[in-house]
Amino acid sequence: MSLLLGPMHHHIPGHKDLSEHGEILEVKAGKQVFIPLYASHSTKFDILVKEGDHVCVGTLLAKCSDRMVIPIYSSVSGTVTGISKIMHMTLKPVDHIVIENDGKMETKPPFHPLDYQKASREELIAFMKDAGMIGLGGAGFPTYMKYQGNQEVKKLIINAVECEPYITDDLKLVEQHFDLALTGILAMKKMAQAQEAVIAIKKSHSSHLQLVETAVANINGVSVVSVPDVYPMGWERVLVRQIMKKEYNRLPIEAGAIVNNVTTAYAFANALVNGMPFVKRTVTISGNAIKNPQNVSCPLGVPASELIEACGGYTYDDVKLIAGGPMMGKTIVNDKFVVDRHMNAITVLANRPYDSVACLRCGQCCDVCPAGLQPVRIAQAGKIKDKAMMEKLHALDCVECGLCTYICPSRLDVTENVRKAKRQLTLAKK
Amino acid sequence: MKYTFNVSPNLRQSQSTKRIMLELTIALLGVYAFSLFYYQMEEGSEYTVQALILMATSLIVAFVTETIWALCKKQNVKTYLSTSFGWTTAMILTLMCPISITPYALGIATFFAIFVGRILFGGFGQNIFNPAAFGRAVLFASFAGATTDIVTSATPTTIMASEYNWLTLDSSMIQSLMTKTGGLWNMFTGWYPGALGETSTVLILLLGVILALRKVIDWRVPLIYLGSIFVLSSAIALFAGMNDWLWYPVFHICTGGVAFGAVFMLTDPVTSPVSAQGRCIFALGAGIITVLIRVLANLPEGCLYSILMMNMLTPAIDQALSGKQLAMRKKTWIVLSVLSILGIGSMALAVQAIEPAKPKPVEKPKTVEISMSDEYVNSLKASIDQTKDNGDGTTTYTVTAEGFAAKEGPNYPDYNHPFEPNVFEITIENETNIIKSVRPIVIKDTEYIGDKIQHEKYLNQFIGKDITTMEQVEKNDVVSGATFSVKSSMRALLEVQKALQ
Ligand code: SF4
Ligand code: SF4
Repeated sequence: MSLLLGPMHHHIPGHKDLSEHGEILEVKAGKQVFIPLYASHSTKFDILVKEGDHVCVGTLLAKCSDRMVIPIYSSVSGTVTGISKIMHMTLKPVDHIVIENDGKMETKPPFHPLDYQKASREELIAFMKDAGMIGLGGAGFPTYMKYQGNQEVKKLIINAVECEPYITDDLKLVEQHFDLALTGILAMKKMAQAQEAVIAIKKSHSSHLQLVETAVANINGVSVVSVPDVYPMGWERVLVRQIMKKEYNRLPIEAGAIVNNVTTAYAFANALVNGMPFVKRTVTISGNAIKNPQNVSCPLGVPASELIEACGGYTYDDVKLIAGGPMMGKTIVNDKFVVDRHMNAITVLANRPYDSVACLRCGQCCDVCPAGLQPVRIAQAGKIKDKAMMEKLHALDCVECGLCTYICPSRLDVTENVRKAKRQLTLAKK
Repeated sequence: MKYTFNVSPNLRQSQSTKRIMLELTIALLGVYAFSLFYYQMEEGSEYTVQALILMATSLIVAFVTETIWALCKKQNVKTYLSTSFGWTTAMILTLMCPISITPYALGIATFFAIFVGRILFGGFGQNIFNPAAFGRAVLFASFAGATTDIVTSATPTTIMASEYNWLTLDSSMIQSLMTKTGGLWNMFTGWYPGALGETSTVLILLLGVILALRKVIDWRVPLIYLGSIFVLSSAIALFAGMNDWLWYPVFHICTGGVAFGAVFMLTDPVTSPVSAQGRCIFALGAGIITVLIRVLANLPEGCLYSILMMNMLTPAIDQALSGKQLAMRKKTWIVLSVLSILGIGSMALAVQAIEPAKPKPVEKPKTVEISMSDEYVNSLKASIDQTKDNGDGTTTYTVTAEGFAAKEGPNYPDYNHPFEPNVFEITIENETNIIKSVRPIVIKDTEYIGDKIQHEKYLNQFIGKDITTMEQVEKNDVVSGATFSVKSSMRALLEVQKALQ
């Protein structure tokens, strides 16, 4: 903590023990799966199948035709029965391709496996682009774009921090599939032409630190780094600040770093080695209002209701059902939404409302904001619609990490008020 | 099954504003308890009761004001009271007041603090000025004389301001300052009279550390505020060329509610900037103003006015730091450096302007000199009744001399004593004629007139004098009003003088 700045992060009790234990529960897809046509904020898709078509696991279903090409693959085998609009985990109604599951899980890998050791950097980047790899840490942004440039990369930072409370799927992945993920990491390191790759894991997960340390002991230029157990340690900017001791303006590459999630590395390796797209993932089902919190593994497109049922159902009758972690995930008022590629968790919290009081200008929100903003003042400017002030306070730099609301002792919805300010600014820009 | 919608995030930390206020209240109660203990031990229960009445008055006024307001605004009274935290204002205000203040004046000040200082600004969170400081300023401006019969000695701050100009280089003056104020250690522990809650520096600082650790207050504010006062007052001491100057900054820190202001008032989040950077500037500014007001305006209350002034500047500080905090760091450093330079510079100038208190010529107590040749003395009759050689080189004379009773007796209106003289025993050293002792044996003068002659201090002044050459004595304050009896004793001495010549 310095004199002129707050800590710019905050420790949040992780409750990781709830879901960390035991094996990952395999959940089979039910009668129907719903594949969301959503990628990187876009819903414009060219649909490549029609009603009645037979599809396999790995069949190309649609392609995002907006700014960039992102392919969507089937996660089960069966018959396409139509398109239906369902609430997506991003709180937007989105078209989903409905597939009648035949339960056979017939698989057709769409890619030709590629040996990253033999392939050139360009081949790897092209492969990544064609495979439609997106960041699986949360943003869902196409990954290949990070590797296109020619800037010097000092460090490829592999994010296994998992800073949101309750979520443990990255940890599970490290426990169970680190060998495959490591292949992805090495391939990415090659693509980035990075001097070294570091795998960031929280200090508090000593067994995982150890596991990875042993795994990379003999590999040159790959190491593990332990980072403090604070939120949002997993956000690129905070990771770069911690590991590179540097700030950057727009992209981590300005500080000589590329940051990718460990699940992304795993998914990339899966494509390279097995020729398979990312159609199945691990999701942490946790929270204080679910019977058996645990990690489950399921094909994409499985509705939340089925996963909740697999975990024993709710234990409280008024819940906040959150697609994602409690900090950044969105509450959704039904359990029909499905697992998408970047949905790492479903968090179920008992709804216990708080009383709020007036803002006491304590400044705690300013102290913890990882972007170094002054949320309380942005919220104020938003309230009086002072656009110049919102601009001056860099409202648009807010990443909606939620920490300002979390910390606010007056229990105000600070993040939401900042969001509203951002909305005003973006509307004005259009 | 009910799915509730909530905007993310969906978690909250455990600390709440209510808890912050509760912890603050407990700390204030700690300070108050010390004050009650001090007055009970040092002054007795009359003072303790007064302290209790003051606190009760202020709290009641605060609650009543807020209740009426809540009723006017048709709000739930209980919710309003419990979320407006008016009691903290009342407590802080009370703790800033001296015990001698009338409950009436404190009540009015509380009303101003709550109603004008808070409610009119829009309630909790909206006020510009620290409401308690506002109320205290009202008291200073309008109720300076509203004190009860409860006597308090001058506080170290007022002594320093009124008698010492906030600066003295003379070591005997420093000595006397320390004697008058009870010394630095007493000031540090708080065992001296002062505002109810402002005296115990050590207790306040201790509570400050706890509150800062518990994130109730921001550690930066008291640290920078007290630190800057320490540095600036050290600068003054050094510029003024003080030797052994360390006592001087310590004196500044330990007096006049500086510690209380640092921990409980400057840290009021509502009236200070929101960002850490702003609060650093805020605290440094307050430190500079406090010292300047003290040494230049020669007021004891530098702390209070510095808080109010910086409260006023808070919106401007916030404005100036609009932007990302990382980017504003440079600007903050510049402002802090400029302020520091200005602060030190103004201290150098201030030293030129202040007249360090110099020892005043020792003011003699009012004296009346009475000489042997005084007409009245000579008009009294006297005789040596007995002369006794003590065998140790001294001789004791028993002398009868007329005094008030003998001279005026029943002639004097309302005075019915008979005409009887006084009797003294005077012992003289044979060789040197030095007076060894003067003792009253029979004093017929009345209680009011004669008693004081028997006072040791008076009679002792003859001792050591040569009786043959003695011409006059000083009748000092000790025996004021006993002129007649003094003259009687002089007459007795005169008789011995005559006998020895
Ligand atoms: S939500 Fe935005 S404003 Fe609030 S702490 Fe996070 S980045 Fe800062
Ligand atoms: S944390 Fe809450 S109470 Fe504190 S300044 Fe920010 S918005 Fe206001």
